Amino acid sequence: MSLYELLGTVEVGLIFGLVALGAFITFRILDFPDLTVEGSFPLGAAMAAILIVNFGWNPWPATLAAAMAGFGAGFVTAFLNVRFNILHILSGILVSISLYSINLRIMSGPNKPLLGAHTIFSAVQGWGIPTYILSPLLLAIIILAIKMLLDLFLHTGLGMNMRAAGANPAMAAANGVNVGRMKLLGLGMANALTALAGAMFAQSFGAADAYMGIGVIIIGLASVIVGMSILPVRTIAQATLACLFGAMLYRFAVAFSLNADFLGLKASDVQLVTALLVVVTLVGQSSRSGMGKLLKRKLS
Amino acid sequence: MIDVSDVRVTFNKSTPLESVALRELDLVVPHGQFLTIIGSNGAGKSTSLNVIAGLVRPDCGKVVVGGQDVTDWPIHQRSRLISRVFQDPKMGTCEDLTILENFALAHGRTQPRGFRFAIDKGIRERAAERLKLLKLGLENRLNDKVGLLSGGQRQAVSLLMATTGETRVLLLDEHTAALDPKTAEFVMELTRAIVTELKLTSVMVTHSMAQALHYGDRTVMFHRGRIIFDAEGDKRAAMQVSDLLALFKRDQGEELSDDALLLG
Repeated sequence: MSLYELLGTVEVGLIFGLVALGAFITFRILDFPDLTVEGSFPLGAAMAAILIVNFGWNPWPATLAAAMAGFGAGFVTAFLNVRFNILHILSGILVSISLYSINLRIMSGPNKPLLGAHTIFSAVQGWGIPTYILSPLLLAIIILAIKMLLDLFLHTGLGMNMRAAGANPAMAAANGVNVGRMKLLGLGMANALTALAGAMFAQSFGAADAYMGIGVIIIGLASVIVGMSILPVRTIAQATLACLFGAMLYRFAVAFSLNADFLGLKASDVQLVTALLVVVTLVGQSSRSGMGKLLKRKLS
Repeated sequence: MIDVSDVRVTFNKSTPLESVALRELDLVVPHGQFLTIIGSNGAGKSTSLNVIAGLVRPDCGKVVVGGQDVTDWPIHQRSRLISRVFQDPKMGTCEDLTILENFALAHGRTQPRGFRFAIDKGIRERAAERLKLLKLGLENRLNDKVGLLSGGQRQAVSLLMATTGETRVLLLDEHTAALDPKTAEFVMELTRAIVTELKLTSVMVTHSMAQALHYGDRTVMFHRGRIIFDAEGDKRAAMQVSDLLALFKRDQGEELSDDALLLG
């Protein structure tokens, strides 16, 4: 793997760290399996691309607007679930398939190239250091700042209410927490992060595409599972860091399988390899304790 | 303080499983009274508690707490007036949060903290001070996850959480039923001490006739969705479990056949 490729992988790994943080909020904190992300990731990409290319917006507010659109998507999913009692998974599926059509409308077509356009990465151009080094650095700063903001939020009164609403809804309600409102806020936040990732990915990759959301749910979930299985997660800050780490590891597994010609792997095997990564982590984790118990029994 | 009037509750309405849980219930609990409710399975005692807490919406009738008509209030809104301790120790506390965070959550019920940090020095000190009452050493384990505590410890913490803040009504739903006899007595004595100290208006549902007569100021007995017996003061003080059984037999013309009621 060349340095260029390595830094490219780091860049994508950082961007998908945001997707992992979103999955952390929905799956781990709210216990709400949210499939909206399959639509909100390309929604963010489409919004950013259109605002930058067609409307001539500055890339920063365009990226922010993309995140807000994502918030709206998550809010709708939670609204369907909370207000109309539609099953959570189904609400997410409904919103994500609607978003597929909406994204085609937004872009007036299946994709929107961003080549030559001003992007958030233009800010670090012309400093004498190649962009492929500065872009991941810029992203690392943004993503770490977002991680820390999320950590802070989860320690506020509101953030703790959200954690309680997910962990024990009956108890949370008995303690004055409006559980439905916490779902609306949490899903909004998670999809804002996912759409932000989509917006950044489009600007890094050079195009927005209506199909780029396929598999995002698996990437997010796998990142959370892999990261939280490997690293210690005693505190919130550790847990969010583990999600970012998991996303990075996931991208490296993808890059590895794309480069592993010597093992007889083809680029098309990438999904298989990443699925194996998740299985190996899960099995490894459970058998570690299992093996430990077995050893103890033999020794005593 | 609590005024339940003409409340009717039907479960599985307009299905073959339709059953009436409460029939035109009227129950007034004056300020500062500790009421115990007894009854066999399906008598409507837990349902009446759920109607007060907001888990069950009545078909008709009115629920007034502290002078406010709360009939249409959702649970979380009622929690500003009403505290609750559940039967299952796992329900009353949040096991993924620390003892301190659980405490802060209960505290936020009457004083929401919004975007301020959930935990500050004041809350930490208050939590430690309240937890000292338990004499379980929990004040030194504030940052332990609640999931690490035993059932009895969790129930004691739930009780403290429910009586933190400014709510004046305490609902206890068989909160000692899942504990061993020794721990159950510890939690009951703690309940009595706190209720007396804070002069709370309390309603306790119990399966044990002895417990119902031993604790509190007034006892009502439910049967098939109605109150069939209501005693307080001297009449209640002189009462034994056997008297209660005799009364039940006379009024209902049938033997009470719920083992838990007799053995508890």
